[in-house]
Amino acid sequence: MVKLSRYILILIAITGLAIALPKLYWIAFAQPIKSPFVQYSAVDHDFMILRNEGETVFTNTKGETFTREEYEARLPFVYTRQLLMNQTLPDSLNGEEMDPHQISKYRSIFRLKPEDIRAPQPSLFPLFESQSGRVNLEMPEDFFRITWRMEFINAQTNQINEEKSRMFSAVLYKRGFQFPATSINGIPTTLKSCDEGYLVVDSANQLFHIKMVEGKPFVRQVDLPEGLKFKTVQCTDNSDKLYYAYLFSEDKHLYMLTQYDYLLERFPVDNIDPEKHEIRIYGDLLNFNVSVLGEGFVRSHIFDRNLNPVDEYSENWPVQSQRKEGKIAAALFPVQLSMTDPNSEFINFYFQPSTTYYCFAASLLLAFVQFILIRKRKQKLLNQLPDILIICLTGIVGFLAVNFFPNKFFS
Amino acid sequence: MTSYAIECNNLTHYYGKKMVYENLNFRVEDGSILGLLGKNGAGKTTTINILNGFLQPRSGECLIYGENTQHLTPQNKARIGFLIEGHVQYTFMNIHQIEKFYARVYRQWNPEPYWELMSKLKVTSRQKISTMSCGQRSQVALGLILAQDPDLLILDDFSMGLDPGYRRLFIDYLREYAKAKKKTIFTTSHIIQDMERLIDDVLIMDYNCVLAQQNVNDFMRSFKQFYLEVEDPSIDLKKEDFVVNVEKVHNKVEIYTYESEEFVKKFLEKNGIEHRAFQQVEMGLEDAFIGLTGKY
Amino acid sequence: MWKAMIYKEWLKIRWFTILYALLGMLAVGYLFLKVQHDTTFNQPNNYWNLILFKGLKFFSPLKFIPLAGGLLVAVAQYFPETVNKRIKLTFHLPFNENKVLLCMMGFGSCCLLAVYLILITLFSGIAAFYFPSNIILPALVSLIPWFLAGFSTYYLVALIVLEPVWKFRFLYLLVAATFIPLFFINGSTAAYQPVNITLAVLTVLLSISLLFSGYRFRKGEM
Repeated sequence: MVKLSRYILILIAITGLAIALPKLYWIAFAQPIKSPFVQYSAVDHDFMILRNEGETVFTNTKGETFTREEYEARLPFVYTRQLLMNQTLPDSLNGEEMDPHQISKYRSIFRLKPEDIRAPQPSLFPLFESQSGRVNLEMPEDFFRITWRMEFINAQTNQINEEKSRMFSAVLYKRGFQFPATSINGIPTTLKSCDEGYLVVDSANQLFHIKMVEGKPFVRQVDLPEGLKFKTVQCTDNSDKLYYAYLFSEDKHLYMLTQYDYLLERFPVDNIDPEKHEIRIYGDLLNFNVSVLGEGFVRSHIFDRNLNPVDEYSENWPVQSQRKEGKIAAALFPVQLSMTDPNSEFINFYFQPSTTYYCFAASLLLAFVQFILIRKRKQKLLNQLPDILIICLTGIVGFLAVNFFPNKFFS
Repeated sequence: MTSYAIECNNLTHYYGKKMVYENLNFRVEDGSILGLLGKNGAGKTTTINILNGFLQPRSGECLIYGENTQHLTPQNKARIGFLIEGHVQYTFMNIHQIEKFYARVYRQWNPEPYWELMSKLKVTSRQKISTMSCGQRSQVALGLILAQDPDLLILDDFSMGLDPGYRRLFIDYLREYAKAKKKTIFTTSHIIQDMERLIDDVLIMDYNCVLAQQNVNDFMRSFKQFYLEVEDPSIDLKKEDFVVNVEKVHNKVEIYTYESEEFVKKFLEKNGIEHRAFQQVEMGLEDAFIGLTGKY
Repeated sequence: MWKAMIYKEWLKIRWFTILYALLGMLAVGYLFLKVQHDTTFNQPNNYWNLILFKGLKFFSPLKFIPLAGGLLVAVAQYFPETVNKRIKLTFHLPFNENKVLLCMMGFGSCCLLAVYLILITLFSGIAAFYFPSNIILPALVSLIPWFLAGFSTYYLVALIVLEPVWKFRFLYLLVAATFIPLFFINGSTAAYQPVNITLAVLTVLLSISLLFSGYRFRKGEM
């Protein structure tokens, strides 16, 4: 029992130190990694790359460098106001008239990080009045949840609004909704141009559009291809009012849901995984730019407004573990442990095993030091074997742990 | 056959590299009262700690009622009353609470001697032990041990912090109790006069060794001090076999020995040591202890 | 054995435990007084919105309350044992030494658990007036690691206080300093959901850690 208590303490110490030591190491030695910023120029039909290597460099895929003015002129949809001020905005581009109002209407920016999805999700939402006749949206008095039915709970009284709950539930039921909901997606803020309610996935993986119009439920089922399941549905509030949402499927495809006719349009690109990589979607008058950003790489896919592929570009750079400080860390720590992960909001034990065999050399060296210590203390080697094994497996962390809790037992 | 309450065999202990003792052997007979005497640092507390299982000796073993003190069974521990140096007790309790606690611990608990002692103390029933005087605390600790009614009492420096009255009270009570009920006592004390009234046997330790272990009366009879004044102050008697210890101030010499007066006188005569004022000096236990271990 | 030990431990920690329970209840009371105030000034629906979508943690005043309890009970229970090495008395009782320690630890844990349950019940009970389960449950998921930290602190302080050698006390403290923060990582509400079970297992394992320093004391480490 006492021996067991020692090994428990060693486990606790290893847990604590395997988190604390790498953390200290990275506080001391981490270097910033500057990733390039890639945009598409409809002027040059090429990618414009902004690099930050000590000083800012404006370049393209051919390696040509530009001045800031040249760079901005090649990105008229990004720097519209600057070009207007300089009076250098072209009248037309690729046959399209460059009307500033149109440019701004079709411009959209969407960003989604893995930690936005891999995060605790709320289960209670405000349902706004979509046609209140007011300019500004108002936070409703009640919040809804969809469990065995759709329930509205009044925040003032913390009571269920039975009448409203029954009314909405009845309509959902009639439309074939399978309770409960597995995901409820909307934009739960009054700071949006208008309300389009929620896109709700039910327990049968059917997609519904639910909103409140003049106090009455509006429910519309979206026709989905057979077997299509979504990882996440992300509603948008774009000024072109063409699409309700970006939808990311389990098979790593990206769709848009059109407004009014509820058509699902797929981007002809594979391997879009918002659970692993950051996804950015820039829309402008002429193109969509779907960018996938991961650790050490960026991938940009350009489509025209009809979602035909136009161009693509990708670039890699060394990630932290491939750089000098990362290699040293890998040699020092057989496992780096962390309670947080850049790709998740959840707290957990995240293991990052060493990528190099040098860590075994370091562990063996420490095990040898322990061996010498054991001999010096004239302890029986057999009793100390588990300690040596622990050091071999966990390196410096285990070395500290077994010596913090001395292995001194009497027969 | 004599049975022993305590048997320590080949006890060896070191603190780091510093030797406390090597191959220490002693036994305490059932029903005897043994006093362990030794200077500070001679290993008294070490021995007590080993006896109570609070220290693992480097080698050797101590047995109490035949059980290694490193793994005393609860039944055996119930037979041992232990007074910690300084009469340490659960001072966050009052005298009622502590009695209630120990009564639940020991099956053969007999509260009478405890309450008898408590009735003599001028303490209120809700007074915490921590607010009591040293003497009062000693009575509480003693009362608890008596109520526990153990077969063996291990008392670590029971006289510490006690004024003479309490010391006397403590000793008289203890001796009467032990003798009446045939208890074994193993005790240490700083104040050797106290021991004289209490103990049957004495165990005197010096650094690394046992100087004497025997009945205290036999010891006092056989260990003697002779006083003489020598003519030649340069004479060194220390190396003589029969001499246990010599204290010399100028020409005044104190010889400590187990040998008889005649033997010493003959020796002086034979070696032609001129002396006068030869006499045997009556010693108390304290004098004998100092004589045996030296002043330094 | 149990009766006697529980009696002794209770005498040591009763006032601390009762005082702590009262303070804890005051903290819960304060928490909801603040909720009341905030919902009065900032409509309940807006307040809900802040909790659900803006990361407001209305329960955060409780963050270090369980930890304080673990610390308090552990010190109240084990510190008196180390004064004058009084633990010698405890080890000398006619019981198995490890069982005695486990009994002390078990009783301390139960007292702590009792107070924690009172606080959690009070929290959930009052929260039910203001919020639906959709808000209370994630809050409880976030509270769990803080309460586990209370237990872990209790066990580690017991270990540290009973350790006889100062050098090792310091090293144990170092381990505690790397382990306890794992329960207090800032994250969104309910972020601890996947790891709560693991942390609970580690905490339960940690409960017997005081046997280690108890053993070292008994073997005369100094």
